[in-house]
Amino acid sequence: MKSDIKPLPIVEVLNLKKKYGNIKALKGISFSIGKGEIVGFLGPNGAGKSTTLRILSGLINADSGEAKVCGVDLAEEEGLVKHHIGYLPENNPLPEDLRVIEYLNFRSRLKGLRGSRLKERTKIVLEICDLERKVSERKIGNLSKGFKQRVGIADALLAEPRLVILDEPTIGLDPHQSAITRKMMERLKGEITFLISSHILSEVEACCDRMIILSHGQIVAEGTLHDLQKTFVDKTIFEIVTKGNKIEVQRKIREIDITCELILDDLVDVNGKRRFSFSTLNGEKSAEKIIRHLFNAKELNVSEFHISRPDLETIFLRATKKNWEEKTLIE
Amino acid sequence: MHPFIVIFKHEIFSLFISSSTYIASFYFLTLIGVGFHFFLESFAYTDWILPPLSSLVIGLFFGAPALVPFLTMRSFAEERKLGTLETLLTTPIDYGVLVLGKWSACFFFFTKICALAFIYPLILLYLYPDQGFNLGFSSVHYWFGCSLYLLLYGASFTAIGVFASVMTKNQMVAGMLSFTLITLYISLMALSSSAKHSIAINTKPIYQFLEQSLAPFTNGFDKLEQFSVGFIDLSTIFHQIIFTMFVLILSSIQLNRLNK
Repeated sequence: MKSDIKPLPIVEVLNLKKKYGNIKALKGISFSIGKGEIVGFLGPNGAGKSTTLRILSGLINADSGEAKVCGVDLAEEEGLVKHHIGYLPENNPLPEDLRVIEYLNFRSRLKGLRGSRLKERTKIVLEICDLERKVSERKIGNLSKGFKQRVGIADALLAEPRLVILDEPTIGLDPHQSAITRKMMERLKGEITFLISSHILSEVEACCDRMIILSHGQIVAEGTLHDLQKTFVDKTIFEIVTKGNKIEVQRKIREIDITCELILDDLVDVNGKRRFSFSTLNGEKSAEKIIRHLFNAKELNVSEFHISRPDLETIFLRATKKNWEEKTLIE
Repeated sequence: MHPFIVIFKHEIFSLFISSSTYIASFYFLTLIGVGFHFFLESFAYTDWILPPLSSLVIGLFFGAPALVPFLTMRSFAEERKLGTLETLLTTPIDYGVLVLGKWSACFFFFTKICALAFIYPLILLYLYPDQGFNLGFSSVHYWFGCSLYLLLYGASFTAIGVFASVMTKNQMVAGMLSFTLITLYISLMALSSSAKHSIAINTKPIYQFLEQSLAPFTNGFDKLEQFSVGFIDLSTIFHQIIFTMFVLILSSIQLNRLNK
């Protein structure tokens, strides 16, 4: 029998508020993150992402509200919470004069690791972040940006944290290095909870289980990519490539779905094949019905059919559009 | 290992690999050495009443505004500029421990430079034992008093330097602020000493109150006379420890304020 008891969330945030002077950076946000989840924290510049991450990592205090990490209240037991967290700040500041191994040893000791456990953990994180062999002996200042980023992530993972906060972990990295970072997170998925703030939406889309979209200090969207697609995109768009003419195709489609509208009509090749794009208000199921219907109509000779799902960028733009417009109007 | 020791060892290591530490130490020790040489050459013709070892202490004392900024300016200012302070503060470390660890490393280096400067009279004593003996270089109580005096004021000067470093992100500004504050502190001591020896005594109650309250912290010059001949003044030890602690607490409050 499946148990209904939910495990304790790793992060619990309730009505968190923060002001910088007269500017409200956070206007009472609430969310929770479960064990082993990889959550993407998205939002335009100044949305309050870094402020939230800095509060969760114990660097700054919230003005009001509650933030708990591993069940421990940040306001009461900040020191204890820091034992559970690994944090990679934005821009990943590192001491350039130190060697990788010297830096990691220093950080391990600060995080309370001793003796054989220190050696063991250092070895493990070097292996996870692919920093073994010669790289660990090199000076941080002489490393490429990708390697520096891996050093930062290795540091965040050192003390076996239950929550790892990564602020812009793949910024400035080439696709190969980004893939390595992604692979590393996939490897640790389930054991460690990741909270990732990023502007690179394709990265978040590729590696996060869930997204939280912030805009002007408020959460404007939250959920899996599928949830967000359902919430923010009311129309399903599909494309067909056929030899049939426009009127014929439209008539056949409307036999199934009256809400379908033609949005694109384009010639594909000299044989008279055309590409049509339609939108429907009745979702993907209706689009699937239409495809079956069109394939059965032999006279149309449908050769391609494609349902285009909105990407995270579309969702992001729609989710943050309202707040963005409001702010622009005020300014 | 306690976080204090981790920070202390790390800072010592950082100072050891920093070129500015070596450049500052070299110039400082050279100047002190040259000054000490000329002092000893002209000693016989002066009316100097204190043991000659005290001249070295005075050199180190007045040289401190130039030396201390080189040791302390990078401690927090550089970390703040690079952003490494933020990563440091995500570890379970207390602000007070962090300030104490960094100050201890700077103070250790200051002590090390003072110890190196004390090699000059030792060399003299080794090469010319008779002259060295006559100049009082073999008297242990002189050595003890002078060293203790330097340690006490070195502690407060380095604490001021660390405080200046917490105040800004710019190393140069931290250095200049540190130089200004230490010079101001020494000037206060000089003013206090000259006011004490002047005939005109201000009778206004407010001046008398200020003089009485600040005297323990500003009578450094007068205390040198006692320490250099081996008389240990316990109140000076006590006041300097309080002053150092006060400045370090101010530094950790400022650090806390910056991040909250």
